[in-house]
Amino acid sequence: MISRFVLGAALALLMLVCGPLTFVYLGTKTSKISVPPAKPTSASPRAQALTLPGTLYLAQSGAIYSLAAGRFHQLTPEAGWTQPSLSSDGSSIIAVKQAALYSDVYVLNRFGTVVRKVTSNAAPPRLAYDTGQNHWSFYPRLSADGKTLWMAYDKPKFDYDVVLSIWAMPFGGTITQGKLWTNAADYTGGDVQPVPVSGGVIYTKYDYGPDEKLVGRLWFTNRAYAPGKALTTPGEDCRNPAVSPDGTQIAMICTYEKQLSYLTVASWNGSTLGARKNIITNQLVAQPTWAPDGSGIAYLAPGVAAGPFQLWWLPRAAYAPVPTPAPTPTPGGPHNGPLPSPSAAPAVVIRPIQMTTNNGFDATSPPAWRG
Amino acid sequence: MLSSVAGGLAYFLPAAQLALDSTGQVIRVPTPSPTDLLTSPAPSQSPSSSPITGAFTVLLLGSDDDSKFIGDHVLTQSMILVRVVPSTKQVTMLSIPRDLYVPLSTGGFGKIDGAYSYGGAGAAIATVQQDFGVHINDYIWVGLLGLVKLIDAIGGIDVVTSHPVMDDYYPADIYSSWPYDYERVAVLGGPQHLDGLHAMQYVRSRHGDLQSDFGRSQRQQQVLMAIRQKATQLSPEDLPGLTKAIGGELKTSIGLSRVAALLPLAASFDSPDQIRQIILLPPYTHGDGPGGSIRANWGLILPLVHQYFP
Repeated sequence: MISRFVLGAALALLMLVCGPLTFVYLGTKTSKISVPPAKPTSASPRAQALTLPGTLYLAQSGAIYSLAAGRFHQLTPEAGWTQPSLSSDGSSIIAVKQAALYSDVYVLNRFGTVVRKVTSNAAPPRLAYDTGQNHWSFYPRLSADGKTLWMAYDKPKFDYDVVLSIWAMPFGGTITQGKLWTNAADYTGGDVQPVPVSGGVIYTKYDYGPDEKLVGRLWFTNRAYAPGKALTTPGEDCRNPAVSPDGTQIAMICTYEKQLSYLTVASWNGSTLGARKNIITNQLVAQPTWAPDGSGIAYLAPGVAAGPFQLWWLPRAAYAPVPTPAPTPTPGGPHNGPLPSPSAAPAVVIRPIQMTTNNGFDATSPPAWRG
Repeated sequence: MLSSVAGGLAYFLPAAQLALDSTGQVIRVPTPSPTDLLTSPAPSQSPSSSPITGAFTVLLLGSDDDSKFIGDHVLTQSMILVRVVPSTKQVTMLSIPRDLYVPLSTGGFGKIDGAYSYGGAGAAIATVQQDFGVHINDYIWVGLLGLVKLIDAIGGIDVVTSHPVMDDYYPADIYSSWPYDYERVAVLGGPQHLDGLHAMQYVRSRHGDLQSDFGRSQRQQQVLMAIRQKATQLSPEDLPGLTKAIGGELKTSIGLSRVAALLPLAASFDSPDQIRQIILLPPYTHGDGPGGSIRANWGLILPLVHQYFP
């Protein structure tokens, strides 16, 4: 028979344990939605053990990372770094460093060390009282010959009407030697993300559509300050252009004025876009980037609904299926009868591959890819 | 069992304390008051947490609440009427322009954003009810810092920002000791994950938009929908952390039990097509009111409101 004392002590102990245990248990039942993204360099397991070709450069939390041979390396401190792009020989990184009131373009070596500062966008000290004396530079891109730096730059601007315009400047020069290339529409945010191509530049122009909503359109121009031409319609609401390595296709993000986005590919003949092919649909997706060897497209998209953006990979077979081969002739001499009808090959669905699970890449920063 | 209950109570105590402070707010309508709120109990007063089946209307209020203002006498820079019909899973959001020149429930005429500053949530509700001919069941008020904290507490939101929001003279009144300071804002365009600060910049800036406050209203509705989408992933166990994060930056007439019933309801709205967004652009309004205000074309507005907020 258990003594009353032992029973009482046991019940008291049980009470002491149950309370804290309940408290701790409830704490473990919280959702993980507010867990901050992990650094790409942390040793957390990847969703897929897949190695992408070459080196990919991405931005997260103000730092630039490289991804090579399946491993991330942090190239810069978390200090406002974003939007890396590469020199044509891949030896230098051109990137933006954003401060509270302005941003500047820098040249870094491939290990992330600053080589030089290209722009000086902070307000002069004597005018520092006026925030409008500062400037933004975003989306720097070098021309194929490495001589011209393209970027979005907020000049001209008129008091409250601050718009980004496409500028081209000598890579070794200063912004005073630069040339304004586009006439941004007032009160729209302007023209952004230039991609120099043979014979001109493709960029995203924001403007009011026929329904008076602000939309993005891919635009092409081949002369400074010429009107240029629209490549997409207002209803498609497209942005984030990326030209394939062979220059014959353009990947872009179109939203059709909704809070969803489509990764769309279209052929490009140097002046117009061909038929659209939506290869990722009905989810948030951003910044498609072609692999330099043409083996696929990397892009950024949430890993879970409404979550931070992860790195995804779409193999080429997903958007450019290999044609079904013609039936091979029957071996053993000339065929006399009717040719066998080609049997329908089983459809193989190629799905995108999620490369990271718990990072939070900057979806306004197009990744750069060195082969 | 008692010990486990005590453990559970201890876990939810911070949420309960703050929730009691900030939820279930009694709405006091200043006189003269045409509203029936004083006589008809709001549905939120019901202690039941059973599933919500009837349609209801909530007035969302967002304010600058920095040191430019004395106490609770703030302007409501954002006023959004939200009608939820659980049976059809339809949500309608109607943004009321902050500069709309209307008769105020507290007497006289003025911009509608001033109603709250004259008489708190009761005056804001009474003004909207009398002018728009709607019945409002509940209200939620959130300050600027509250919005930032709320979005950070749910881990940020995913939004397709319609365009780059560029503003050279954005008010630096949240973390600054001098509320009349300016800062620069550049929220770039396209799909992205926004933290609280950048989401607030996106919804608050109006200098870089030709449609000014109307454009801002559209962005506010985008962010609201993104918050709703993220909120569907919350569990009741998240409430203590969430309430601790938001602090006293949120007030609502919705009782605790009703909040619990609303979480699964929010999760059941899973299609963007179920959400109707209304902005009172011209010809519903026109901008020749006194003191830079906007006049209402009630002949067009009232039929629209009666259609979607019966």
